Amino acid sequence: MKTAKKTVKTPAKAPKAAAKPKVAFFDFACCEGCQLQITNFGELLLDVLGAVDVVEFREAISEKWDGEYDVVFIEGSIGDHHAEERLKKIRARAKVLIAYGSCATTGGVNGMKNSFELDEIRQSVYGKDYKLFDSTYTKRVDQVVKVDYYINGCPIYIPELVEVLKHALRGLPYTVPDNPVCAECKLNENVCMYERGLACLGPWTKAGCNSWCVNNGNICYGCRGEVSNPAKNAGDVISKYNLKPELIKAKFDMYNKCKEGVK
Amino acid sequence: MNYHILMKDELDSFINKLSKKMKVCAPVAKGHNNFAFEEVTSAAEISMEYIPTILPPKKYFMPPREKMLDFSLADGKPEDTASLDAEKLAVFAVHTCDLAGIQCLNMVFSEKPRDYNYLLRKENIFIIGLECNKYCDSNASCALVGNHYPNGGYDLFFTDIGDKYVIHVNTQKGEDLVESMGLAKTSSADMAALDRVREGKKHAFQNEIGVDPKALPGIFAKGVESKVWHDVGGRCVSCGNCTNVCPTCYCFDMADTINLDLKTGFRTRTWDSCQFETFATVAGGENFREERANRQRHRFYRKFKYPLDKFYRSFCTGCGRCTRTCMAKINLKDTLKALAAEHK
Repeated sequence: MKTAKKTVKTPAKAPKAAAKPKVAFFDFACCEGCQLQITNFGELLLDVLGAVDVVEFREAISEKWDGEYDVVFIEGSIGDHHAEERLKKIRARAKVLIAYGSCATTGGVNGMKNSFELDEIRQSVYGKDYKLFDSTYTKRVDQVVKVDYYINGCPIYIPELVEVLKHALRGLPYTVPDNPVCAECKLNENVCMYERGLACLGPWTKAGCNSWCVNNGNICYGCRGEVSNPAKNAGDVISKYNLKPELIKAKFDMYNKCKEGVK
Repeated sequence: MNYHILMKDELDSFINKLSKKMKVCAPVAKGHNNFAFEEVTSAAEISMEYIPTILPPKKYFMPPREKMLDFSLADGKPEDTASLDAEKLAVFAVHTCDLAGIQCLNMVFSEKPRDYNYLLRKENIFIIGLECNKYCDSNASCALVGNHYPNGGYDLFFTDIGDKYVIHVNTQKGEDLVESMGLAKTSSADMAALDRVREGKKHAFQNEIGVDPKALPGIFAKGVESKVWHDVGGRCVSCGNCTNVCPTCYCFDMADTINLDLKTGFRTRTWDSCQFETFATVAGGENFREERANRQRHRFYRKFKYPLDKFYRSFCTGCGRCTRTCMAKINLKDTLKALAAEHK
């Protein structure tokens, strides 16, 4: 372990007065809450802005950019043909595309639309003239264009966004943790929600949020999506705590309907 | 051997004085019959009667997330600086199962290559044990592994004998502390009371699974293909709760994090679990413990078979945490009984 400061300098590799990476944020069908999370960065925002050049960000700046993007952040799910076309155009101009937030990465709450017949849901939203309003089944971003990085969560967990951004800037792959939320929750020594008599989706939901909700006294709502190999016999969990399987299923529907695919 | 006494109504003053010397951590009630070691400054905050805490005191010896070093890639050749955060603290009211757990970790981390972060941190931790005069609950199996009595591994050890605690002094550090607090030595009546407590425990604590612990290594040697593992694996959620709460599980993962300047960063280690899908996945995507049954079997063998071959002691401390925390009702005692029954 070396602690002494190195004295021999290697020839400086022309630190280009390089333009900082051009980063843009776009939103589709969503509440724009993930953008809000970014504006709520606090002091960290200054560090991030030191590393990148934000060229489009609807919630915070009015400038537009007509060149190529080094990194684009896509928020929201895709719910009509216009959105599909717009997303494809953005992708064509972007070197790296990051889907962020549940809507973009897993379909999120918008996925609930897929539980109904499309015309039925259109009619209920737009009334008798519903045919005038274009609407499709909810798609995740990766059902329309190639996604390079995923930041799951509703809203996104800021420390994870910063990690993914750093990975993207260095061109390294980032893997969304595929362990259940319990893995992190236990390290935080929370009293298990099931011990409190509450059904929590932690055992089936991807970690990476540092059990943010449970740390703050709430259950896990499954916003980061289901782990790729979930427990097959959930009945054992539910029976230990006298809960109905339908309850867990219904809770999962809030964020995870889109994973069942687009009809 | 040196024994002192502390009147129960003087416990608050003891904790208070101790907390002036160093940070004191003790079991605190978290509601819903859950407890956790947390910092305290008075006896009123402490639960002297508690079932094993959510996380064992190993969290002070090997923190769940620990920074190992800072590094810089700024000047061509990478540079690094070791990092150690080891504050002086006392862990108070540690049950005998958890003392055994710390002893196991001491053995593991003293092996070469030595784990200096662990060993240096351990030097700064003052351990005060607390005897269980009765079972915490029916999930414990401390008598099976002989951890219902103290077997060392502490500086001071408290036994409740009614209106006072008998304190066994086990180390010079312990002696210095007791002297500085001016605690009286035990009388012969106190020692007789201690004997009575220990005598009473002979009946209160019995081998919990009715299987001779000496037979367990043989049972495990024959049990590799047992269907018990498939039953257990079929229920497992792979949440890692059982290993995270285990006082002797010590596996960790290392990761480097770069700072936003993309030049400097730090290395952390985080508790890992053999129950996770990713634990035994290697480059190329091959997972050599793909089935949950294999992973659960591995966990049991890491408690009852491999450490016996290597360290000559069980790495199950009998605390019962894995059973309590399991969401899918995987019960350690039942699993051992079922395995033993196959080889009657």
